[in-house]
Amino acid sequence: MTIARRLLMMVIPALLALLIAGALIDYRLALIAVRNTSDQALADAARASVQLLGGGNGMGQLAAPQRAAVADTPDTNAQLLYAIAAPDGHLISGSTLLPRISGGSNPSFADARINGRDLRVATLRVPSTSGTTSITVAAPTAYRAQALRAMLSGHLLVDFFELDGVTLLLWIGVYYSLRPVRQLGAQVESRSVRELQHIGEAQVPGEVRPLIVAVNRLLELLQIANGAQQRFIADAAHQLRTPLAGLLAQLELLLSKPAAAGMQADLGTLRRALQHVAHSANQLLVMARAEPMSVLPERLGTVGLLAMIGAVVERNLDRADLLQIDLGADAQPAEVLGDAWLLEDLLNNLVDNALTYTPAGGHVTVRCGNEAGVVFLEVEDDGPGIPPSERLRVRERFYRLPGSPGAGSGLGLAIVEQIARVHGADLLIETGSGGQGARLRVSFR
Amino acid sequence: MRLLVVEDNEVVADAIVGGLQLAGYTVDHAGSAELARNVLAVEHFDLAIVDIGLPGADGLSLVREVRAAGNGMPILVLTARYELQERIRAFDVGADDYVTKPFEQAELAARCRALIRRASVVPTGLLRMGRVAIDLLGRQLLIDERPVELTKREWLILESLAHQLGRIVPKDRLLQALAGWEAELTANAVETHVSRLRAKLGDAALIRTIRGVGYRLDETREEPAG
Repeated sequence: MTIARRLLMMVIPALLALLIAGALIDYRLALIAVRNTSDQALADAARASVQLLGGGNGMGQLAAPQRAAVADTPDTNAQLLYAIAAPDGHLISGSTLLPRISGGSNPSFADARINGRDLRVATLRVPSTSGTTSITVAAPTAYRAQALRAMLSGHLLVDFFELDGVTLLLWIGVYYSLRPVRQLGAQVESRSVRELQHIGEAQVPGEVRPLIVAVNRLLELLQIANGAQQRFIADAAHQLRTPLAGLLAQLELLLSKPAAAGMQADLGTLRRALQHVAHSANQLLVMARAEPMSVLPERLGTVGLLAMIGAVVERNLDRADLLQIDLGADAQPAEVLGDAWLLEDLLNNLVDNALTYTPAGGHVTVRCGNEAGVVFLEVEDDGPGIPPSERLRVRERFYRLPGSPGAGSGLGLAIVEQIARVHGADLLIETGSGGQGARLRVSFR
Repeated sequence: MRLLVVEDNEVVADAIVGGLQLAGYTVDHAGSAELARNVLAVEHFDLAIVDIGLPGADGLSLVREVRAAGNGMPILVLTARYELQERIRAFDVGADDYVTKPFEQAELAARCRALIRRASVVPTGLLRMGRVAIDLLGRQLLIDERPVELTKREWLILESLAHQLGRIVPKDRLLQALAGWEAELTANAVETHVSRLRAKLGDAALIRTIRGVGYRLDETREEPAG
């Protein structure tokens, strides 16, 4: 999960909870405000009626017919209901249905339900010489609810937009403050396995810096390990090659001595075995050299394939002569960017492979050129070829075609494939022209 | 012919010395660059085989010293390190050729022979191989000590091949050598001149065609070095 997402997922529910709590508080406050306002209005109405009736002392003069008229029409649908009660308790005027509210305060308030309507009732007690006259006024609470709704919906709308705004600002803030981290990621991702130099710490946010420091330390260790591996390969090459060279040269010397005349066959077997060991050691070292970690950028350069073919053909000519194979080339000028040393190993392995599998009297041809903008390097022979079913497996390390002659290491094509891969090239195994033999082509994309 | 082998590994050194002695050379051995330096100061050698990985001062610094002292004898470098840079450095300090360990005795002897032959041309201008002698100063081909008439183009081809005795000379290099003489020259023209030259050499020397690569003047192997 990304930091941005985690941050937003943590903050947005909290914001929502805050919004709900805010709305509840708003509701309570609005409720109190609306009740206070409506109570005030009721109290005002009650006081106004006192004024109208000429104060507490005039109450008793209200005519009886008026009383009756009012009493007979208990119109609970009216906007404002009232009831005026004499000190003795009998109704002077207004609705008989209204309860009289008693309480510590004057006026006193209460909610009541009359004829299925919710009302807010206020009773004002007016003292006079003849006692206390009570004036009760009531108004439907529906007005109050309406006012409350209007007030609340406004509040909620504002809160909602606030939440949206805060979320958007948060997202923008997170996006921009994490930009250096994303850039860092892209920078690291675009590196190849060989680029082990430090990651710059300057542009990185403080929170990520410890991570970068740790990664840089790791890169340093990797560089040290890589250097150690390079040295090991070089040392191993030296340590193995020199004694092997000594053994082989001594054996050859022995073979040429008259005393060894009776042991030619045994010594020849010994020599072939030693040559096999030397070849295998060599191939393993080449394999190690061709590991992506071992391919150093400073060794890359423009490699002329034409000259390389000349050198490799020259190196293999004696062996081809010995095997009675016609080794030749058909090369056009072509260049690739790569490690000259590894590419020479690649071609050498292709040629070596072709010479191994081609019978006496056969032909091996090395080609290079540029076909439709793609530089290629290929070796074709007119030997038995590689069956289509084996064309994937022969690239595996230590795999050898069933019935293979000689004592190969089974690493040749694995090396070719590995070197091709580190050069961004493909190895294609096909049947040779004329439906015979094998054509192994390396295409540099 | 006297050769010096500078190699610290006794088994390798012993085999090289033995092999080259069988090939007819007089061979001395030095186990370190310091010993080699002392021997080279007082003795003359026709060729030195120098291992790069010597203890103490390494082979490359020995080659550099030899060249700095004005000694032009051919030097063949032995290397166990399979490094292109190592080979390039060997040539840079003045080595003439290199052989990678492990090597075949026959290959080492052939390289030595070719190097000595090429070096022997320098003072006299005469390259001798079996019945053939190529007089590079007098611009003349002798077979059995008798001069053979060559056209200018045939001579230019022979000269190019003789300078690279035993090594492949790419076809386009021969084409360049002839370019001064013929404005409109094709690869076919090179083939024509080579086949005429072959006819004149007969069986005294071999110009080998390496299909699609070039030509090589092969030395005859019957004559041992003395």
